[in-house]
Amino acid sequence: MKKFMNRSLTVSLSIGAIALAGALVGTVRAADISLPPDPGARDAATLVSFACSKCHGWNTNGVSISPIFPILAGQNEVYIGAQLRLLRQHGRADPHARAFMWGISNKLTDEQIDGLSKYFSSQPAVTGRPSSNPALAAKGKDIYENGVAEPKVVKCAQCHGEVGAGTNNVPRLQGQHPGYLALQLHYYHDKLRENKLMNRNVANITDDQIAAVVEYISTLTGDEPTDDSASVNEGK
Amino acid sequence: MGVVRLLRLGVAATVWILGGAVLMLASQPARAVPPFARQTGLACEACHTLPPELTPFGRRFKLNGYTLTTRPPLVNDIDDYKKNTLWLTDLPGIAVLAQIGYDHYDRAPPDTQNPYPAHAQSDTYQFPDQFSLVYAGAVSDKVGAWLQLTYNGEGGSVGVDNIDIRYSDHTYDNKFVWGVTANNYVTFQDVWNGFGSYTIPNFNTVTLYQVGVAGAGTTGPIINTFGPGIVAGLGGYVFYNDSLYFEFSEYHSSFATGSTPVADSSNLAANSGALDKFAPYVRLAYEKDWGYHSAQIGFNGMYVNWIPSNSYISAQQVLAANAAGNTYTPSQTFNPGAINRYTDLTVDWQYQYNGQHNIFGFMGHITHEKQQNSDQLVAATFTSPQGGPIYSNSTDNLTQFLVTAEYFRNRHFGGLVSFTRTTGTSDPLAYGGDGSPANQYETFELDYVPWLNVRFLLQYDAYQVLANNQNPFTMSNNSFPTSPQWPNVKASNNNTWVLGLWMDY
Repeated sequence: MKKFMNRSLTVSLSIGAIALAGALVGTVRAADISLPPDPGARDAATLVSFACSKCHGWNTNGVSISPIFPILAGQNEVYIGAQLRLLRQHGRADPHARAFMWGISNKLTDEQIDGLSKYFSSQPAVTGRPSSNPALAAKGKDIYENGVAEPKVVKCAQCHGEVGAGTNNVPRLQGQHPGYLALQLHYYHDKLRENKLMNRNVANITDDQIAAVVEYISTLTGDEPTDDSASVNEGK
Repeated sequence: MGVVRLLRLGVAATVWILGGAVLMLASQPARAVPPFARQTGLACEACHTLPPELTPFGRRFKLNGYTLTTRPPLVNDIDDYKKNTLWLTDLPGIAVLAQIGYDHYDRAPPDTQNPYPAHAQSDTYQFPDQFSLVYAGAVSDKVGAWLQLTYNGEGGSVGVDNIDIRYSDHTYDNKFVWGVTANNYVTFQDVWNGFGSYTIPNFNTVTLYQVGVAGAGTTGPIINTFGPGIVAGLGGYVFYNDSLYFEFSEYHSSFATGSTPVADSSNLAANSGALDKFAPYVRLAYEKDWGYHSAQIGFNGMYVNWIPSNSYISAQQVLAANAAGNTYTPSQTFNPGAINRYTDLTVDWQYQYNGQHNIFGFMGHITHEKQQNSDQLVAATFTSPQGGPIYSNSTDNLTQFLVTAEYFRNRHFGGLVSFTRTTGTSDPLAYGGDGSPANQYETFELDYVPWLNVRFLLQYDAYQVLANNQNPFTMSNNSFPTSPQWPNVKASNNNTWVLGLWMDY
C-alpha cells in the first residue's frame, strides 16, 4: 500500500509540476481566464486569444501561417469590420467563408466586431519580399498597374493603391499570402465570392494572370502615397 | 493433447484475443463528429484532413480541451469572483456514428466446429459494423470530453468505448497551452494520431476469422492494445511555443469490462491479462508549420508490467488437461505472480500538405519493443509446479514499422496506401508455428466523400506474412493445414475487400 501511495504521489507531483510550470510562465490571471465563455461577454483580446488565434496567428499577432487563412495584422480597420458583419449575416458566401467564418462569427456583437477590427488593424503589418520569379512578377506588375486591355481586366492599383495598402474600406493586399489572394481572385472570377465591382473587374482574368499579379503583390512594400481617392469599393 | 501444447496454443491465442478484445470493444479512435462542428461553427475540414487525422487547427482544438465554442450558454452561474460555477449550452454535443461494411475474403473462413465446412462463405455484411453514441464537446469553459458508447456488430456487444476528458488552459499569447487528460486508451489522447490506437486501416474492418489478422489482430507492440476495458490513466501535458509538446501519463488496470482485475489472480487472467501496478507513458513531439505545410517528429515510450493471460486456463483446456491425467479448475492461474516487463519505444513522424484543393499526407512510425518474460514462464528457468514453459526466450524483441501515404482532392476523392511490417525474435513457444511473430501487410483504400459526414470507401488489405507459420486458420483448428479440404493455406488467403459506409451525425 505504501509503495502504491508513493507511486501515486510521484505521478501526482509530476502532473502538478507540469501544471505549476504552466502557471509560472506569464500566465493568465484568474480574473482573466474566468471570463464567462459567452461570446457577448468577451473582449476583443480575449476572443483573439481563445478563438481567432487558432487560425489567424497562434500568438495573437494576426499573422496566419497557412495561406488558407488571411493575414489580418495591419489590415484596414473599416474593412475588417465590414467583412465580419458580412460573414456574421452570411452575406459573404465563398466556400472558406462558409466553412470557417459563418459559424464562428455568428454570435459576435457589434462591439466585439469593432474591438476585433481595432485589435487586428493595430497589429504590426506584414510587408512584401523580393520575388523568386522576377519575370512573373514583372508581368504581374503590368497587370496590377495598368490592367489588361482586351479582354478587359481592371488595374488593381486603381483601388488598392500603388503599394497595395488599400484604404479604409478597400483591403490591404501588401504582405498578404499570395495563395490567399489567388484563391480570392478565383472566387471573385467564379462569383463564389460576390461583389459586383470585383466580380466585374476580374471577370476576364486568366489563371496565368492571377499567378502573375499575386506574385507581384507579394513584393510590395512601403507606404501608400497620400491619395484617398480609391474609396469606390464598398469593401465587400 | 498435452498440457504444454495447450499452453502454447493458449499463448498464441492470447496474442490474438488481446488484440481482439480491443478490436471488438474499442473499435476505432476519435472521429470527426458533428457536435464539434455545431459547437465551434466550423466545418469538419477545419479540424480534419480525412478523419481521424487532424489538421494543425484540429490538434490545437484538442489540446485546448475541446472547449472552443461559439454557442452562448443557456444556463450560466458565477460565483462572487465571477468564476463560472455552471455553464451549459442549449444543445448537448451528442452524435451518432455508424459504420456499415461489406466484406469479401480471398478465401472463405473455415467452420470452427468442423474441419470440412459445408457452408463457408466469403462474403458478409457488417450491418452495422459499428454504431456509436458520442458526447463530444465542452463540459465547462475549461473542460471538454469525448465519451463514446459503442455497439460492435462483430462482437455483438455494447460497451463503454473511447473516453478522453480534458482540462486545459493557456496563456494569453498561447505561448503555453497545458492541460490534464483522463482517458482509457493509450495514445488515444495524442494529437498527431500516427501510432498506437490510430491504426491503419482506420475503418473498423472485420478481418478474416473474427479476431482478425489486420491491425490489432496481428502480433504487434503491446502499447497498441491498451484500450477501453483494459487500462485507464491520467496525464499532464504542455504545448510550448506552438511547436514543442511534452506529456507524462500513467495508466492502471481498468474495471471497465465488468471484471474486477484487482480482486484476484484468476480474474486478472480472465481479463485477457492485466496491467500490474502502474505504467508510465512519456510523449515528446515537435511540430513545425509553414505555409500549407505541417511537419512533426516525435517520440514516445512506455514501460509496462504485464500479468499475461497465458496463465489462464480455459474451460476447454481444463477438460483436456483433466483427461490427460492432471487436475485443474476453471479460471485457475497456472503461474501465479508471473509478470512480463515490456519497454516500448516509438519514433513517429508526419508530414501534411493542407492545400486549398489538395491534401497530401505522409506519416509513419517505428516501434521497438523489448519483452522480458517472467522466469517462471521461460523454458530454461521454468519454476511453476504445473504445466510447462510458455516462452522459449527470457527476452523477446519486436519491431513494427508502419508508413502511410494519402492524397485527397477537393475533399471529395482520395485514397491511401499503407504498409506495415513487423519483425521480432523467434519464440516458438510464444508464437507457435515456426516461432516467428513476423507479419507484413498493405492497405489500399479509395474514398468518396459526397458530404463531409458521409464517406464511402473501397479498401483492399493484402497480406504477405502472418505470424503462426503464415497460417491464419490454425487459430480455429490446428488440423486445417493438413486437411485435404484446406491445402496450401497461406497468408494471402486473408486478403480482404471491404466496401464501407461511414456516417456521422
